[in-house]
Amino acid sequence: MSDISEGAVWAIYFVPLGAAMVIAALLRGRPRDAGRLMILAIGVSWLLALWALNTVHGHHGESVGFAPHTWMELFNLEVTFGIRLDGLTGVMLVVVTSVALLVQIYSTEYMRGDGGYARYYAYMGLFTSSMLGLVLASSLLQLFIYWELVGLSSYLLIGFWFNRPSAAAAAKKAFIVTRFGDFGFLLGVLLIWSKTGEFDIATINANAEELSAAVLAGFTLGLFAGAVGKSAQFPLHIWLPDAMEGPTPVSALIHAATMVAAGVYLIARFFPTFEAAPSEVTTLIAYIGALTALLAATMGIVATDIKRVLAYSTISQLGYMVMALGLGGYVAAIFHLFTHAFFKALLFLGSGSVNHATGTFDMRKMGGLRSSMPVTWLTFLVGSLSLAGVFPLAGFWSKDEILLDAWNHNRLLFGVGVLVAFMTAFYMFRAIFMTFFGEYRGGEVSDHGSADEHHSGPHESPLPMWAPLAILAVPAVLIGLVNVDGDFGHLIEGALPEALRHGHPDLQSVVLVSSTVAALLGIGAAAALYHARMPAPEVLRARLGPLPGVVENKFYMDVIAEDIIVRRVLYGGIARAAELFDTYVVDTAVNAAGRATRLAGDISRRTTFGQQQAYSSLLLAGVVAAVVVIFVLSGNVLER
Amino acid sequence: MLTAFLLIPAIGALVIALLPRGRAQDARWVALVASGLAFAISILVFVQFDRDQAGYQFVDRFEWIRAGDAGFSVQYALGVDGLSTPMVLLTGLLSVAAVLVSFNVSLRPKEYFAWLLVLETAVAGVFLSLDLIQFFIFWELELIPMYLLISIWGSGRKEYSAMKFLLYTIAGSALMLVGFLVLGLTAGTFDIERLTASPPTEAIIPLAAIFWFILAAFLVKLPVFPVHTWLPDAHTDAPTAVSVMLAGVLLKMGGYGILRIVLPILPDQAQDFRVLLAAIAGFSVVYGALITLRQRDLKRLVAYSSVSHMGYVLLGIAALGPVGLSGAALQMFTHGTITGLLFIMVGLVYDRAHTRQISELSGLMHRMPLIGVVMIVAGLAALGLPGLSGFVAELTVFLGSLEAHPVATIAAVFGVVLAAGYILWTVQRVFTGPPNERWADLPDANQWWERTAMGAMLVSILVVGIYPRVLTDVIESGIDPIAAIVQRGG
Repeated sequence: MSDISEGAVWAIYFVPLGAAMVIAALLRGRPRDAGRLMILAIGVSWLLALWALNTVHGHHGESVGFAPHTWMELFNLEVTFGIRLDGLTGVMLVVVTSVALLVQIYSTEYMRGDGGYARYYAYMGLFTSSMLGLVLASSLLQLFIYWELVGLSSYLLIGFWFNRPSAAAAAKKAFIVTRFGDFGFLLGVLLIWSKTGEFDIATINANAEELSAAVLAGFTLGLFAGAVGKSAQFPLHIWLPDAMEGPTPVSALIHAATMVAAGVYLIARFFPTFEAAPSEVTTLIAYIGALTALLAATMGIVATDIKRVLAYSTISQLGYMVMALGLGGYVAAIFHLFTHAFFKALLFLGSGSVNHATGTFDMRKMGGLRSSMPVTWLTFLVGSLSLAGVFPLAGFWSKDEILLDAWNHNRLLFGVGVLVAFMTAFYMFRAIFMTFFGEYRGGEVSDHGSADEHHSGPHESPLPMWAPLAILAVPAVLIGLVNVDGDFGHLIEGALPEALRHGHPDLQSVVLVSSTVAALLGIGAAAALYHARMPAPEVLRARLGPLPGVVENKFYMDVIAEDIIVRRVLYGGIARAAELFDTYVVDTAVNAAGRATRLAGDISRRTTFGQQQAYSSLLLAGVVAAVVVIFVLSGNVLER
Repeated sequence: MLTAFLLIPAIGALVIALLPRGRAQDARWVALVASGLAFAISILVFVQFDRDQAGYQFVDRFEWIRAGDAGFSVQYALGVDGLSTPMVLLTGLLSVAAVLVSFNVSLRPKEYFAWLLVLETAVAGVFLSLDLIQFFIFWELELIPMYLLISIWGSGRKEYSAMKFLLYTIAGSALMLVGFLVLGLTAGTFDIERLTASPPTEAIIPLAAIFWFILAAFLVKLPVFPVHTWLPDAHTDAPTAVSVMLAGVLLKMGGYGILRIVLPILPDQAQDFRVLLAAIAGFSVVYGALITLRQRDLKRLVAYSSVSHMGYVLLGIAALGPVGLSGAALQMFTHGTITGLLFIMVGLVYDRAHTRQISELSGLMHRMPLIGVVMIVAGLAALGLPGLSGFVAELTVFLGSLEAHPVATIAAVFGVVLAAGYILWTVQRVFTGPPNERWADLPDANQWWERTAMGAMLVSILVVGIYPRVLTDVIESGIDPIAAIVQRGG
């Protein structure tokens, strides 16, 4: 097959965008057609993405050069739009389009009958194209632009059911919290341009070594701040659990497989620059990732909403990837991003299927769904085993590579990684036992009437919903095999300069054994507590004292961020002080002057005929006075 | 051509004045035709403007008061360069929008539309003048229609607000006049081009004082902290069209004056005070944004956000480099269209709900989806979302100013975070949430004039956001000579 042309690569991005515009302009009254059009558009993008991947594979993952186009030019400021197509891009394109395609198909049934069906597909198209634009960007500023646009689509989709106050609040929270990260990102963009006059990613990476340590530190920390926001890392992770207010397929695509991975992608894209930066920066990244992985896993253990379990799991797994990047594990991080996208999308869609049947996301109201939902049950089991890292499923291979990097570079973080692996297996199987085992506890009869809460007895979901689950189960099992011989690593390392390519590392038996034991122990512990009830979870909870309560309250981080920092300190404190200062200090002086003048105005109104005249005489008096003053002052000028 | 742009609204105002009493309702059509013609001319000027040629184009000039022996003369001189061309276009666009959103004004419509057109002429005169005295005359002329429009057709404490606006501007312009006179008499000319080419090196009062005299008037107009408090009052009590003109065009007279007069004629003083200016700018951005967060009235909210956003203009100016100055010019244009649109949308909400209290409004999206969507787009533009024009301008300002003023720039970038806060929180409170019974009967934007005004503004926001070169090429040709002078001075 011949190499993909530049026009065809642009089409990957433009086709879903065009479809979204057509839906917005023409198909609002024809929802079924809107859905079909978007599936068709993303299908086209998917085929083109496969072609692009095939092309870069032929180039051993190295960049296939296309010249950029000038978007804006002002003096020495030139902003270009271009395509960077290499192994990393190719993999991301396929991940995004594959998951997006399956999610769109699933949504035809999940969103059936929703009043905003066409709007949903328009937003989904906007998101998919923005995400593809982000991945394709050859310039840092171009990447930032799409970074913000995926944020917008995320905002629109979280708040899709905007008549629910909780959804509207969650959408706003997501946008603003990530904006705090983007504040750093934008400063990084400004800094690198001020120092180098460059936005081109390849050029920045190639010349990173020549920058001073301070500039490198500032730039990389700025990028990392953006990644912390987008990829929901501590302490900006607080938006992601709330984002579950959006429709479940949205969570599967945006808040599991693609957008939240953009932060990881950003660091990987600038990996050579991060490697050149002071080691404190990468160490910080590794520790933030590990801390996030650990904290989120603890919260996943106590969550009772199946979607939130998955949300915390996503945060935790993203922490894993960030930790790997901090430890220099470029291949491991992207490999885990790759496998995670498939099994996590599968799990989210599975939770949507369960919700479709029971009308709730609360696992305490589920149970015993094994027999009534066989496809959902089996695929959810496969996804959970893969996420838990059980041999030989996809998650096993990618997780092991991360743990291997940790073992080689930082034993403490290796310990954290193994602990998180145990907790991951535990919370996933806790969810499985609560959802699929035991007796059905009745679900919930919905009164909201929205598509997320269909009601009727538990039953398997219709074909358009279960087929994507079945399809995703295949990569969840098998896709890990692509790097057994290092092929995947070879492909994505093509994006790096030769000096940073490490080739395929040898597996370490200690890593394999400890991660497998951790996973099995986690599953066993979940079985003991939530299936055999020996001991019953309530008993254990009581023994642990206040700790579970702290975790259930999310370590009070939402309270600290929203109630204390934003409401008390910012809104009630600083902003209020500014407002009072403005009213009572700045404006009081003005009003005093105003009263004096109104007095003058009253006087002149009495002597003339009304307001208009009062005004004009005042104006005239002012001008005349000024002229007189100046002519007196400038007498000597006139004499000249 | 520029004389036509200047005079057509004035002629329209005359025609309206001559309309017989019984046909008062036709005033709006006359106003629409006049402002529409002016808008067409402004588009023509913008399109025909030669982007590769520096200096003024379309110049109309004759001498008016000749007093060569006394060392000065006063002339009538109009012309546009790359800096004023976008401002002329902005004036043309917003004037049409202002007339359109006033179509349902029924109180003394003849006077109302006549004053609106006089306002357009006055503002156009400021942007077109190539002579300081002429500039000053138009600058003062603008006050008369503004005062009357606010105090007669306004609401709330309209007379207080109109007087406050008046006093502030007069206080500023008295100082400005002093500055102009000293400059002109010292140099022997009031011609801006000639003053720019050979600015006075000393005068009877220190040049630094002249700098601050003139700058004061422009900073009040912009406005920035601490001379901004007239703005929220004037906006809150002004009718919608006047808010649109005030935020959209009048504020730009401040930034325009600095770029056109202060920097080229007093470049050394600008260099001396650049840090102070940047500090004022950075503080204004954050201070304005913080106060915006606290506002309970939609119109006051948009007004305070203007204080914050005009801080970006001053920040770009204080950078004194070509990119920063271009950013300031871009921000003037984009803020004009974005905030103009926001005021139109707030006006539409107020026309229907008869309240602007955020706490009383909720779930409006169900009743007025079109108004809601356009308001959200305008809000996203205001918070600097890429793809919309505000991003391009803010980014350019920041890129131009980081090196020169890192602290002020970081503060200003933080203003963008706060902007996301006040915009999205407002959207959440006013538009989302369950339908509210109280607003169940409100119509959406259903009149053609409302839709046309919204559409025109929206198009300009999208075009500049997606293809900024429409504007940047023009601005570059205008900023280039100014930046050269300023940098030579430093």
